[in-house]
Amino acid sequence: MQRKLSYFRLAWLIFYGFFFFLMLELTLKYIPFSNTVSFLAIKQTEVTTVRSYLPIFYLHVYTAIFCLLAGFTQFSSSLLANYKKVHRAIGYIYVISVVCLSAPSGIFMGYHANGGVFSKISFVLLGILWIFFTVKALITAKQGKFKLHRQFMSRSFALACSAITLRLWKVILVYLFHPSPMDVYQLIAWLGWVPNLLLVEYLIRKKQT
Amino acid sequence: MKKFYILTFLSLILASCHEKAKVQTVKEEMVTTTADDLKLIGSWVGSFNADVKTEDYIPNIKINLIIKNIEGDSVSAQSVLAGNSRVISGKIIRTGQIAKFELFEPGNDKYDGKFTFEIANGTLKGFWEAFDKTIKVNRRVFTLTKKAFVYNADLMLPENDYYDEYNSKIEKVIDTIDGKEEKYDQAQYRYADEIVYKVNSSTHAFTEDELKNLKKLELEILRNTIYARHGLSFKKKGFRQFFDYVDWYIPVSGNVDDQLTSLERANIKLLSRFEQYATDSYDTFGR
Repeated sequence: MQRKLSYFRLAWLIFYGFFFFLMLELTLKYIPFSNTVSFLAIKQTEVTTVRSYLPIFYLHVYTAIFCLLAGFTQFSSSLLANYKKVHRAIGYIYVISVVCLSAPSGIFMGYHANGGVFSKISFVLLGILWIFFTVKALITAKQGKFKLHRQFMSRSFALACSAITLRLWKVILVYLFHPSPMDVYQLIAWLGWVPNLLLVEYLIRKKQT
Repeated sequence: MKKFYILTFLSLILASCHEKAKVQTVKEEMVTTTADDLKLIGSWVGSFNADVKTEDYIPNIKINLIIKNIEGDSVSAQSVLAGNSRVISGKIIRTGQIAKFELFEPGNDKYDGKFTFEIANGTLKGFWEAFDKTIKVNRRVFTLTKKAFVYNADLMLPENDYYDEYNSKIEKVIDTIDGKEEKYDQAQYRYADEIVYKVNSSTHAFTEDELKNLKKLELEILRNTIYARHGLSFKKKGFRQFFDYVDWYIPVSGNVDDQLTSLERANIKLLSRFEQYATDSYDTFGR
């Protein structure tokens, strides 16, 4: 069988690779361990009053990057065709990272999110939906319902990408409008994942017709 | 011979009387001068304004001219402005109710010069000329009034539009004017909202929640107002710009750290932390 690296695939890999690298850079800021580095600088209230905040925060920061690894391999049909075991291995890494590590810690952090109730609802909802779609994707794969598996994994991955799209929206909105920090934060808490999910839903429906 | 001795004796007595009278009047003069001089000694505060022909905007600087001591016609003084404190000294010439001064800065700094002014009816008015005439602002004028610095935690910035004059970004704007599309550059300034003149950073203990939604300029102004209340003379014009035009602001010292209250210290620490975060993360891809 011929392995084809189409231009589309190449473009996706470069594009996605660039943002994956940015996320990796962010993750590395948290090594070595510190109470006050980066985002924690404005979370000292939580760090000092909520005992489990710091460990759960670091759990999220150190494991979430592994969820994004899936973006390189799991959507390649040629990899699936030729290296099914790799697809499954990385698939399991993704599922465990999301369901056991990143999403639960994300929900906890979402409960303590900046920007008031409006942001908190968004992040908690994001975490719940992320777990739901990922579990559904696992179950449908095990049942051999691969079309449904692809649809649920697309939804799950769209939510995983919110890590990237949230930050992209932030850069764009700040550049255009220079708003106050929490005003922009409340917006990107929702902008970060809702449009992603809507896009995926649209593509799924389009593919069905 | 007898006549000679009587004459000498009488003239000696007259001479000594004359001397005594002279000594007495000199003493009286010195006492009057000292009492008037006390009115001259102290902090004279006001605006130090550029007096040069130029198209450029040169902001006024708040100056605190401290007349420290007057002995005879010698004056020792100090000028506090823009983060600098210069020892100045010179002469005083009194004519009636007017005291004229000529004071010189040391001369070992490029921006040293001569202060020429007079104090009359409680107002100090004069001009300053640089020794080095080639510097851009080589002449300034000032009208100062006597003000004693007293720390008051309740002092607030006046209600105003606060924006950072010195850190503007140029934005390219495309606009339709009279139906014609025009492109031009527009300066985009950082601005601060009303919190900087509504909340007192020296008496209100901030929490993280209160600061999270503040813009970096607001954090900066809140922090620097604490220092301004203590009379810090700001080196950076980016900080100075918000206080030099404020009536109650008197620059007194280049360092006021040992004067801060514990509440102010805690606020400064918190505000600095948020300022740093704003610098690092406000407009970047990070969180």
